[in-house]
Amino acid sequence: MTSQQTTLGEDATTAEELAEGQREISIAEFFEKNKHMLGFDSGARGLVTAVKEAVDNALDATEEAGFRPDIYVEIREVGDYYRLVVEDNGPGITKEQLPKVFGKLLYGSRFHAREQTRGQQGIGISAAVLYSQLTSGKPAKVTSRTQGSADAEYFELIIDTDTNEPEIQAERTTSWDRSHGTRIELEMEANMRARAQLHDYIKHTAVVNPHARIELREPGLDEPLKFERATDQLPAETKEIRPHPHGVELGTLIKMLGATDSYSVSGFMQGEFTRVGKKTADSVIANFRDRHFGRELGWPARNGAPSADVEADIEEALRDAISNKGADATDTFAERVANSLTERERTSYTQLVDIVGTVADEVGTETGKTFGTTVRENAVAAAWAELTQFGTDEEGDEFDRLTPTLHELVDDATSTRKDDAAVHGLAERLAQRFAGDDEPNRMRFTLSELKTLVDEAGDATEEYDDETFGDTARENIVESLWERMVTVPDEPPNVDEIAGDRDTASELLEAMRETDILAPPTDCLAPITEDLVEAGLRKEFDADFYAAATRDAEVHGGDPFVVEAGIAYGGEIEAGGTIQLMRFANRVPLVYQRGACATTNVVKRIGWRNYGLDQPGGSGMPSGPAVLSIHVASTNVPFTSESKDALASVPEIEDEIELAIREAARELKSYLNKRRSMAKRREKQDVLGRILPQMADKVAEVTGREHPNIEGAMARIMNNVGVDRERDGETVRLSVENHSDRGESLEITEIVSAEPGDLPDGVDAIEMDDEWFLNWNPDVDSGETIELEYSLPTDADADATVDGVDDEKLTVNA
Amino acid sequence: MSTEDTTDAEARETLIDLAAEFYDQFAAGEIPRMDLPTRTKSNIEYDPEKKVWVYGDRTSTRSANSVSGARKLLKASFTIDFLANQLDEDRSSTLRELYYLSESWNNEEAQFNSQDESNNLVEDLEIVTGATREDFHMRPEESGAKVMGPLLIREQTNRGDRDIHCQKDVGQGGYQIPNDTDTIEFLDNDADFVMCVETGGMRDRLVENGFDDEYNCLVVHLGGQPARATRRLTKRLHDELDLPVVVFCDGDPWSYRIYGSVAYGSIKSAHLSEHLATPEADYVGIRPQDIVDYDLPTDPLADSDINALESELEDPRFQTEFWEEQIELQLDIGKKAEQQALASRGLDFVTDTYLPERLNEMGIL
Repeated sequence: MTSQQTTLGEDATTAEELAEGQREISIAEFFEKNKHMLGFDSGARGLVTAVKEAVDNALDATEEAGFRPDIYVEIREVGDYYRLVVEDNGPGITKEQLPKVFGKLLYGSRFHAREQTRGQQGIGISAAVLYSQLTSGKPAKVTSRTQGSADAEYFELIIDTDTNEPEIQAERTTSWDRSHGTRIELEMEANMRARAQLHDYIKHTAVVNPHARIELREPGLDEPLKFERATDQLPAETKEIRPHPHGVELGTLIKMLGATDSYSVSGFMQGEFTRVGKKTADSVIANFRDRHFGRELGWPARNGAPSADVEADIEEALRDAISNKGADATDTFAERVANSLTERERTSYTQLVDIVGTVADEVGTETGKTFGTTVRENAVAAAWAELTQFGTDEEGDEFDRLTPTLHELVDDATSTRKDDAAVHGLAERLAQRFAGDDEPNRMRFTLSELKTLVDEAGDATEEYDDETFGDTARENIVESLWERMVTVPDEPPNVDEIAGDRDTASELLEAMRETDILAPPTDCLAPITEDLVEAGLRKEFDADFYAAATRDAEVHGGDPFVVEAGIAYGGEIEAGGTIQLMRFANRVPLVYQRGACATTNVVKRIGWRNYGLDQPGGSGMPSGPAVLSIHVASTNVPFTSESKDALASVPEIEDEIELAIREAARELKSYLNKRRSMAKRREKQDVLGRILPQMADKVAEVTGREHPNIEGAMARIMNNVGVDRERDGETVRLSVENHSDRGESLEITEIVSAEPGDLPDGVDAIEMDDEWFLNWNPDVDSGETIELEYSLPTDADADATVDGVDDEKLTVNA
Repeated sequence: MSTEDTTDAEARETLIDLAAEFYDQFAAGEIPRMDLPTRTKSNIEYDPEKKVWVYGDRTSTRSANSVSGARKLLKASFTIDFLANQLDEDRSSTLRELYYLSESWNNEEAQFNSQDESNNLVEDLEIVTGATREDFHMRPEESGAKVMGPLLIREQTNRGDRDIHCQKDVGQGGYQIPNDTDTIEFLDNDADFVMCVETGGMRDRLVENGFDDEYNCLVVHLGGQPARATRRLTKRLHDELDLPVVVFCDGDPWSYRIYGSVAYGSIKSAHLSEHLATPEADYVGIRPQDIVDYDLPTDPLADSDINALESELEDPRFQTEFWEEQIELQLDIGKKAEQQALASRGLDFVTDTYLPERLNEMGIL
């Protein structure tokens, strides 16, 4: 490149010299210099990122084709390099596409689609290929077999960094034991220092994809790490959606306008956007018209002076304006128009044109006279002049129909404390500005024009009448004027015109944003669902308790999103230190940059003590034997950077994350509360179970009697449910005493070694291998005792098992 | 002696009965429990017949339904066993000895954690059985205080009966009241009234000035919150010798409580008020009124003093015209004074002027 160290006086040549050095940079070259942006900043991390990209692709491909993913990941040391192999059972890639998918950056199917997928930009796997070739100099070896084809295709390829095109170094057909799928083999300079992150990534992937089977082999493992499937249910198939009107930006809109086949704005809106039908399109267009054309201010037919009669004035003006139509037709016409204007609350210019047109047609039909265009125009001009009379009349007298109307309006819109003279002054100044000099003055203003007018009038009033009209007063006046104004029926510009004019396009965008439109549909999303979030946790963590929550879909910037949270607690989960946080975006585990992630922020700001977890200092990461998993699914997950490690802080998403966590945490809380009360009960049982027999011994000793039977007292104290057996000859009596403070439903299975008799109704004996099973399901109210009685030969054995009551509460003596 | 043996047997019987009650509760499948009157000031009421304050109707139940309740009942069972044996063997022990003795029990759960715990348990047993701790042969650690005055008594001691005159046969310190005052028999006396004095300093002043001799007064030293024996003796002096009783304390809320426990009985031992309280006892001073009348040197009331005074206003024992007036006056002036404050007018002022004036006012002299 040319040196930029030029000296003054040589300026003339500098630009040319620079130009020589200026050339296009290929995306591949760019990547070469900016590996960190895509997560390849070190050998340790590069390996994890490569695994991640390959596995994400594999999962996307298999799911899209409707296969249950079966993914094999292998890392092996080969001399100075590491070799990474990732295999999937996806649909395979056609021979034509394969080189581009792996050998060209920014080549992909997802970038333009609004659909929840793991990969989005089409950078990931080709970046891994590039990283491998840059560090080891070896080509990527790809094998792919499409479903039904006899052989697999084998390629060795590198990316030509100058052109960002694949360069095939070897190509042949080969045989492969998988009936369909893709295998990629990359060699790269790497190390296993990020083993923990790699394992986390694979394990978390398994948690969040319970429908996938994943196997990992790497040099540090004695045996492969296998994650089996927890469900056969594939994630719901996602649908691609069109953009939502609230989510597009101006550039995108102009591009869409240029590309559409539609001619009209209405057709464009309905055809290119989601959630826009005829009605919504009409609302958007009405808003667009207001912005593009402005609205028209209508006026009542009112007397401008005490002596005036507006109806008569209008009639007279109309008669004057019409010539050669004969007295009858002229009178009838003038009368009807004047009458209709007087009856209306107010009339805008366009409305007046309509009225004149309608009446002219009617009268024309009735009288046989033709009211031509010129006559109509004259009539409109005459009537409009009367309605909007401002200034002096023919006799030179002060005559003003605008100011009284505006006076009322300003008075209503501003506080009552304003000086009436000032209000009048403002009304008059407004009237002056509305009246204007334009011909014809249709009183058509956009919102911003209206604001300017009101501001001018307000400023002048403040200056001359010594009364303040603050921002609120002015806004109120503008608002009440804007409400009275009517949208004009003018045909909006067509799509081509809008596309060609940036300002008009911007007006359309504003109109779209202003219109209330239904939130985008959510079938473009595939949340894991509550059940499967929990199943995933169950599969990978041996805990005592699991809870999960899936929120309803919400929208941010036109993209729908769903947040899910899951919690596992206790059991084998490590208790020391802070809880484990697993973050997922579109089912992809986020392994790096935990501190920068919106999920982490949200977890830290929740008061976990309320939910029964320790939280030193009352904020920050809670501690305890718990795993928290958070999944954000969206058609466009906002990441902090291209390497997709951390969610950006979007308030709407953060709020939903918080709500999802709280929902799951509430279940945790009630579990922990119950557990604590159980622990207390156990402790009480332990202590009382020790003390009371000793006390009984002592009182027996003091009173000189035998040791009393204390079981009844014990059961009562423990709030216990006691099941006791009494055998009296052939009679067997099972009694259930409920000493707890609530009703209990028990399931008692009595197994006896001889045929029982005299069974009560509803209890049947089922024989199985010379044993009889009696099932008895009594509901026992608090404090009640219920008995089951039957007969059994005295030499027969009987044994009862009881379910339906917590073990801690149950005392079985049968 | 035979009567005493019967008493021991009766006391033992009441204890065994309580154990039997626990036994029967166990046998009936019930949770062992013990009902006790609630021992708070809101649950004491005036018994017009006995003219003392006794526990009201409210009871709290000590039940084995909770860990702490069960532990208390276990301790009660062990204590009952111990007391029954002690009565059997005609031995006695102090409350403190009971506390240490529990260490030797072969059950850690039954051992006492503090002296208060064992003291309270013994009081519980007194209440439930209706016997006194003296009946159980339990002695308090603190001894009774001292008496000085024209009184001849006979005390049964371990070394035989002794006749003692409480002026002539004793030193300057006076006659030491034994723990069990029922061992004292009154033989003769020359006394006109009994005066209970809070502080040792004031007692010594009265004795030095010969007040007991001059006014035929039995000076009883209370020594702070009076021991049961002191209160019992005072009660007996009043009941058996028909002597009026007056109480002479500092002029602060804590001293009013001392008077209260002599006259009305204490909240903790309201079950024994009948035996211990002397409802006819009158309060000499120092009254808040005296602080004003004699312009005594004072200290300002501390916050805790004010709280105590306000709490006394709500105490049913102090809801008399005299006390309400005095306490309100004291809250008003915000001052308190010690008995010794009278020395500001000279060492003889208390015996020459203050007491004679007050006792005249009260109709004692």
